[in-house]
Amino acid sequence: MTALLLQQDTAIPSRTATWARGILIAGICLSLLCSLPVPLRAQTEDRPAAVLAAKSDPLSLPDAPTPAASATSPDEPIVISRSLQPPAQSPPPSAGPSLGDLGLTPAETEGSAQRQALLDRRTHMLKVHQRLGLITVIPVAAACISAAGAPPEHGNYGNTTSRDVHVALGAAAVAMYGATAYYAIRAPKVSNEPARGGIKWHKYLIYIHAPGMVLTPILGAMAFNQINSGQKVHGIASAHGGVAAATAISYGAAIVAVSWPIHIKF
Amino acid sequence: MKRLPLLAILLLTLPVASVHAQSPDQAWNLDQSTLTYHMSHPMHEVDGTSRAARGKGVCHAGQCDFLVAAPVKSFDSGDSNRDLHMLQVTRGAQFPLIQVRFRLPQGSLASPTLDCDLEVEFAGNTAHYAHVQFHQTIEGNAHHIVGIVPATLTDFKIDPPSFLTIPIKNDIPVRVDLTWHPS
Repeated sequence: MTALLLQQDTAIPSRTATWARGILIAGICLSLLCSLPVPLRAQTEDRPAAVLAAKSDPLSLPDAPTPAASATSPDEPIVISRSLQPPAQSPPPSAGPSLGDLGLTPAETEGSAQRQALLDRRTHMLKVHQRLGLITVIPVAAACISAAGAPPEHGNYGNTTSRDVHVALGAAAVAMYGATAYYAIRAPKVSNEPARGGIKWHKYLIYIHAPGMVLTPILGAMAFNQINSGQKVHGIASAHGGVAAATAISYGAAIVAVSWPIHIKF
Repeated sequence: MKRLPLLAILLLTLPVASVHAQSPDQAWNLDQSTLTYHMSHPMHEVDGTSRAARGKGVCHAGQCDFLVAAPVKSFDSGDSNRDLHMLQVTRGAQFPLIQVRFRLPQGSLASPTLDCDLEVEFAGNTAHYAHVQFHQTIEGNAHHIVGIVPATLTDFKIDPPSFLTIPIKNDIPVRVDLTWHPS
């Protein structure tokens, strides 16, 4: 009995030590597991490798590799990762909050080279539009000035020189206007938001000067033919001067509107 | 032998303790913001404003790191055409964010004047502005900070846009008006 008790006395501490050793080993294992970098599933997952194998038919070529589902379609903007962009001149401090901490999504933080190229193209085309538009002021103004000599004086229908000059200047104005409009129409649209500011009035005025630029030469041609046939200008052709004046004024107003407000300060 | 269970418990709690050690001493959130750039041209004076900036600050060991970011496209000058041109000139589609980082001693956060060394990332370039002064007023928990960042176009390698062949001025000072709250 004494021997049995002695055995139990010695067995109790040894069992405690075994438990403690077990807990210690478990603790070490857990600590190691917590500190080890665990690869993500995506990193360990076996991806199907693109294998090009010769087909049994010697005459047929192997199939072209199938594009991945994530490949961008031609319509989708190419998104360039920040990691592909040129590095900043000096790296930001390593400590501190990141863009992710601000709640910004990758879509908000990553740039698009394709969209930038679209903006560049738009700006280029609108710069040409602006330049041509300003140059067009010259033939428009000249056509307006030369209009004074276009009607036959005192029934003299024979002298056509001043009328021909007016026709030539008017034609040049219409041609230049067409080229100016082409660059504005063909410039890529990058925003669906409604126009704000001076550009809004610049666009509204199109509804006056664009039809005017079509009507003015038509009415001018009618008036020209009537004068050449020895008639006094009559009918709808008599509106040529009025339509031309409204067109020229609205055209000038469109130029001022897109530059508004103007604060001259040198 | 009696120390073994204690050691095991210590080892088990180590990862938890390390996680707690990484949490910041204090964090700050940007509640309201108004960033306004000013552009000068002999024929135009333009101000563009953004109220879409986001910001956060974290303090560790007496130092606070702040980050403020605003989308370039969020600046509104009152003319959508001008804003799109600004976006193009500043390469805003390729580099859509303006990021400002600065560090302040935690002890100076309550002072009426804050002297900041700013690191500004914009248009794909980074510029540093040393000793930019911000004035602070504190109302309850709200820290209202006002100042001007003396930015220029050349700092970010931006080609100055021109109107009637006259380029805009190089200086584009940005007025900053921020309200921070400790979280």
